Amino acid sequence: MSPSTLTSLALAGNRTDAARVALTALSALLATLAGLAALTVLAIEKPPGDQWQRSEQYTSELLSQPGLRGGTAFALVLLTIPVLALAGQSARLGAPSRDRRLAALRLAGATPGQVSRIAMLETGFASLLGALAGLACYLGGRELLHRPNADGLLALPTDVLPPVSAMAAVVLGLPVLAAAATALLLRRVVTTPLGVVRRAGRTGSPRPWPALLIGLGVLAAAMIDQIQWALRGASLELLALAALLGIFGAVMGVIFGVGWISHLAGRTLHRFARRPAALLAARRLTDDPWASSRTFAALLAALVIAGGAAAFRAAFQFQAQREQEQNELAGYGGEASYNSFYLDTMNLVDLAVAVAVAIAAAGLFVTLVEGIVSRRRAYAALVATGVPRSTIGTSIVWQMLAPVVPAVLIALGVGYAIGRLLTGEFGRSGPQPGVPLGQLALQGAGATVAVLFVVGLGVLFLRANTAVAELRAT
Amino acid sequence: MTQLQARGLVKSYGPTPALRGITLDIDEGEIVAVTGPSGCGKSTLLHCLAGIIRPDAGEVSWRGHRLDTWSEAARSRLRRTEFGVLFQFGQLVPELTAAENVALPLLLAGTGRRAARTAALTWLTRLGVAECADVRPGEMSGGQQQRCATARALVTEPRVLFADEPTGALDTLSGEQVLTQLVRVAKEQHTSVVLVTHEPRIAAYADREVILRDGMIDHTGLGLDAPLAGGSR
Amino acid sequence: MNSGLVSTSHLLLGLLSTGTMHGYELKRAHDTRLPQARPLAFGQVYATLNRLLRDGLVAPAGQERLAGPERTAYTLTEQGRAALDQWLSSVEPPMPHVNSPLFTKVVVALLVADVDRARAYLVAQRRAHTERLRELTALKTAPSATVDDVVAADYAIAHLDADLRWLHTTLERVADWHREVHS
Repeated sequence: MSPSTLTSLALAGNRTDAARVALTALSALLATLAGLAALTVLAIEKPPGDQWQRSEQYTSELLSQPGLRGGTAFALVLLTIPVLALAGQSARLGAPSRDRRLAALRLAGATPGQVSRIAMLETGFASLLGALAGLACYLGGRELLHRPNADGLLALPTDVLPPVSAMAAVVLGLPVLAAAATALLLRRVVTTPLGVVRRAGRTGSPRPWPALLIGLGVLAAAMIDQIQWALRGASLELLALAALLGIFGAVMGVIFGVGWISHLAGRTLHRFARRPAALLAARRLTDDPWASSRTFAALLAALVIAGGAAAFRAAFQFQAQREQEQNELAGYGGEASYNSFYLDTMNLVDLAVAVAVAIAAAGLFVTLVEGIVSRRRAYAALVATGVPRSTIGTSIVWQMLAPVVPAVLIALGVGYAIGRLLTGEFGRSGPQPGVPLGQLALQGAGATVAVLFVVGLGVLFLRANTAVAELRAT
Repeated sequence: MTQLQARGLVKSYGPTPALRGITLDIDEGEIVAVTGPSGCGKSTLLHCLAGIIRPDAGEVSWRGHRLDTWSEAARSRLRRTEFGVLFQFGQLVPELTAAENVALPLLLAGTGRRAARTAALTWLTRLGVAECADVRPGEMSGGQQQRCATARALVTEPRVLFADEPTGALDTLSGEQVLTQLVRVAKEQHTSVVLVTHEPRIAAYADREVILRDGMIDHTGLGLDAPLAGGSR
Repeated sequence: MNSGLVSTSHLLLGLLSTGTMHGYELKRAHDTRLPQARPLAFGQVYATLNRLLRDGLVAPAGQERLAGPERTAYTLTEQGRAALDQWLSSVEPPMPHVNSPLFTKVVVALLVADVDRARAYLVAQRRAHTERLRELTALKTAPSATVDDVVAADYAIAHLDADLRWLHTTLERVADWHREVHS
């Protein structure tokens, strides 16, 4: 196959395919930006001096303190997780029709290798474009944001550039990784020219075992002192690893738990549903409960972190308040220097969480539209038989909200519990930081509103996808 | 009594005319086949008559009321209560069981769950697919799916049933079973049927045949506009 | 040998293979098994039976007397069974010659008749075909229809359907041919 044939076949496709390519490129762009930002933070040179020597040219402690830069870079890399979730969800957009097209190519005589190459080229090319755009944004942004303030201090490390080899590795590695992932996902399409048979068999209904994972995560956080004691002598990294594993377990527990929640919500809804909209939603939830897990994974991960962050913030505020009280008792006036650094850091964490929620919402949107598009024939038939579009829209709202509300509560609760346990106790009998109900409620409501907004936006696509044209016989 | 009346229907998709002035009456309990070659406007006519789309010009009347001027919501309600619609395939909701699919129009009309299920089971039995009640469409044969879809179209006891190539995706025997049941039930209920098909043997199930050619009614059935004599010379 | 006669004798042999029957029973069996076929005349039944008797393919199997004339029942001989088997196992030549009256008439109409007459004929023929198709469909879907009725109606419906399709295709073809020539 000549390169031009390969390219033209890779670029053939409809609007949905174009949307998939665009979203893949966007995910690549965001991932590149996060990666380059992390590299930049790591590239900050430590001025000569002892190991605590600060890089004084920055306004933010996160950048100037060498001990914090590793954490900052790590947080930036963590931001790629929702981005990767978005990429994964984009890859499913229009996948059935793309798979059919590739299967048709196989029927026409293409070898498995050729079909793989076509699909890999699409993803790889889109990712490369996105990565290059990301690089351009990064370089442009460096120039634009290089604004020293009155004291000559920088808000961002715009004065350093990561090594070219590292940048090249990010910009070129990402497309290669994306193409490899595509090849992996296409295994089944490639093996048979008859197309993919989805839903080969219904798996049994989900069980509440993921709760155990959550329990383990919370337990690990609760026993952090004991673990620390058991690990005494071992390096601090090992302790951090234990804590991270606990958090990771809890996040996975929440994500997998949504499958069970969905199934339960579907069954409950089915029992009490009076209206067709609820009935449709109930059946869809019990039919594929894992769909909710996939759909909300990134959102829930972000919310567990958000819950934890709320606990940390409450603890810091509490500490700051107590310090101030003691200062006042001791007769010193004025602000305690303690709070500004940690609270600033928490602001950054909250910002990162908000960005993650926004990216997760984008992924949610993609999944939602994909679901509508893939069901358009059944929807169009329903509309033709006189089912109002609003009924279908309501069923989609039910289908999203029924599992997401309990899941959001659990995610925030688990995150808060872990965060609260990790911040430790403030004296056996003394006052304890209160539960930051306000912030938790704000986060939960924010996530729910984001989901509602996305659903509302997605339902707008119903009209286009229920046109009579979808019913034409051929 | 005339149920549906079409007067001078015109409809175009972009520059392509699909209907070029169709006038047609459909009586109560009458089964009318709409036939003609591919692209002659059969499905467009059905969509106009059923109020799924609005004609560009002309009138559609339902028992003397101008239907083409109604709002989408009003036409939806009419389709839900007085009309039944049946397509070639892919109209059942894949996640719902057959009984739930059939019960859906009743639930929309506000019937209780239990009553709707009872009615759905009755209709599935009448169409000979009672055994499919708790099965999902994906696990049924094409003929069973189509009979469930027929049950869904008839469960509200509509006055008119619109069927667009209802047997198009089925083999001869399954198609015949679907049509035989459909016609039998329609006769019992005194339901009018508009049956769109391109096959003469399917059209033969109707009381009357309307043949379309290039968006117009072809009274000869053969489209004999072209000169004939000497044709094979 | 006339092929029609051959198939009548084989038909009788086939009916007799289900058991001993006399002439009247044979005619009745024929009419129920082949409901849409032209009814068999008594004379033809007896003439054929005599010929089969002469060739040793059937044998008389006793007589009965039932409030009427004496009736001879017939049974299949070994030879008759062999003849039936041989007939059943020989393949019918699939349409060796195209010689349907409809085909001939349409071709001739397109060839010689003036436009109006050809048109009138074709429309009338199509109408007659459609009418018969509807009749047979009604017969077949009637609740009282037996399997024999349905099988016979199906055969006729398939042929009428084929005729109609052929008629339509032919006219399209002629129209296309005209467009090509005159444009």
